Amino acid sequence: MPLHDVGYRSWTGVRRPPGSAAVVIASTGISLAWKSRWLRRAVLFAWSPALAFAMSFFAFEQAVEEGRLGMLEATAQAGRNLDGVGVLGGLLANALGRPSEGEGGSLPGSIEEVEQTRRTVWSRLLLAFMRAPQAVLLAVVIGLVAPTLISRDMRAKAWLVYFTRPVSRRDYILGKAAVLAGVVAMVTLLPALGLWLVGVLVSPSVDVAVATIDLPAKVVVASLAVAIPTVLLALAFSAITTESRIAGFAWFATWVACWITHAALGTAELMAEQPPPEAGSFFDEPFGGLEDDDRHGRPRQMHWLARAAGLDNSIDHWAWVSPYHAIGVVQAAIFGMEQRPQAFLPPLISLAFISVASLVVLVRRVDAPMRS
Amino acid sequence: MRVFGLDPQKASRQVRQQVGVVPEDESSVPGLTGVGMVRYAARLCGIPAGEALRRAHEVLDWCDAGQERYRPLETFSVGTRQKVAFAAAIVHDPPLIILDEPTNGLDPIERKAMLGRLVTLARDHGKTIFLCTHVLPDVQAICERAIVLAAGRVRLSGSIEELTRPALPMHRVEGTGPLEELARALSAAGIAASLVRTIRGPAVEVATPADDDTPAVLRAVCEHARDVGVGVRSFEPAQRPLEEVFIASLREAEAAQTPEVLHAPA
Repeated sequence: MPLHDVGYRSWTGVRRPPGSAAVVIASTGISLAWKSRWLRRAVLFAWSPALAFAMSFFAFEQAVEEGRLGMLEATAQAGRNLDGVGVLGGLLANALGRPSEGEGGSLPGSIEEVEQTRRTVWSRLLLAFMRAPQAVLLAVVIGLVAPTLISRDMRAKAWLVYFTRPVSRRDYILGKAAVLAGVVAMVTLLPALGLWLVGVLVSPSVDVAVATIDLPAKVVVASLAVAIPTVLLALAFSAITTESRIAGFAWFATWVACWITHAALGTAELMAEQPPPEAGSFFDEPFGGLEDDDRHGRPRQMHWLARAAGLDNSIDHWAWVSPYHAIGVVQAAIFGMEQRPQAFLPPLISLAFISVASLVVLVRRVDAPMRS
Repeated sequence: MRVFGLDPQKASRQVRQQVGVVPEDESSVPGLTGVGMVRYAARLCGIPAGEALRRAHEVLDWCDAGQERYRPLETFSVGTRQKVAFAAAIVHDPPLIILDEPTNGLDPIERKAMLGRLVTLARDHGKTIFLCTHVLPDVQAICERAIVLAAGRVRLSGSIEELTRPALPMHRVEGTGPLEELARALSAAGIAASLVRTIRGPAVEVATPADDDTPAVLRAVCEHARDVGVGVRSFEPAQRPLEEVFIASLREAEAAQTPEVLHAPA
């Protein structure tokens, strides 16, 4: 064909297999979302807690290296130096290395007990990391990306772009969900896997990687437990309106309202469990002493952190009300910190219901232009 | 109904692979540039990423989209948007192209260029083109067949030649000079003739009741044209304007739908 022929030319190349449209939608969606300066800043900020947790891994492994696990009291009594990172690691092991409350247990002495303590400390660190800072940051980051994903397509009638081409409804939903799954991976999965890798790299032996190989798998499953309900819920909100602002408001309002409801119900339950105040004492302690320590003698300000790390042995009866708390309980079950069915089944059912209901709404809304 | 032998219900993905659509409504993926949009359309149709970019530029070049292809879609004029939509519809080289009001918002030069592209695709590349439009001169200019729809029903269907054929066989004479005098002279000679105004200017329509009459009528036209000083430029079978055909079919449809007045018994 001559070079100067700039007319129409037929195309006879090889096409990619059917179903690759979801990958195209996902990759294009991620690159479009990544253009947002706010998203880049939010993701960067979302990695900052990982630094603190990486320090914790380093401190713990330093304590193992220095042989300080379970020897703090003996060290102090012998008048030896108590400064250094290893001591911090020892304190960490002391706080996180014990079995759950009420189960008793002791700090490690033998190598097997060190391995067991490492597994427990690492699991609790990873769980606390995924449950406390990352879950909140994830809600914020998804709130920045998700509302525009489908609502803007509906406003711009982009469904004509998709559904006049060999793109099925399933490809479209999968592609859009993969955009958010990518965000979930960036905010929770990758930093958590990175933490595990940091732990292996700062540990005395590479054998630690083999001994804790189940933790990355648990991180993946725990990330899926976050990703499935949040992604589907966020996409459902985006699909029910052409105004992305309304979808964004609905997303944040849901999280905040459910959180407040959970807090109110939990407080009411706690107050109901308290013995009735003695006559005349109400005005001295209007909240019945709730503002001081919880039922386990831990300062209430630290209660959420203990729960995040799986140290709290009490059952959160209202976790199913709030997606944030429900996800936390399910993640604790995945990491083996919560094994009581009465504790994790209601949140699991709640998340399954949210996922299924969101999927139904999503499919109906995506289907709507083709039905009309 | 089957498209290229495929059932659209059962093999919708394969059918859509064979079809390119330019919708009437503006539809785009916000945030993409012009070339990004065409490339995206190509990738959705299964063209690999690198090849999709090359092909997108190739098709945009053919559609006369200049450097504006690098701007976001939201900033495009209607004409450029239409070019990008057309490029996105043909980027995967479909054998069937469906266009809904493709010349909307185009200036006369762009409109002519767009119709020219459609003719090229159909004539030189064997594409089947469905053009849905209210601009009937466009249809008459480039289409081979037309279907007139009214109230969701097919009212007329056939080739343009059949649809626009006058009730009585006639020929149209175009030329320069006093055409009105030519019409008068032909009428005086017993040949039914009248002066008409067409898009290309005035013309004389002469009746040619039977095909056998045509050579005799042509001879008479040439003789009388020489007499009155008309230079004959063309002598061809006359056509009714498609608008006239369309309006007539709509009137028939309306008449058919008028309900009968029912008289209730006293």
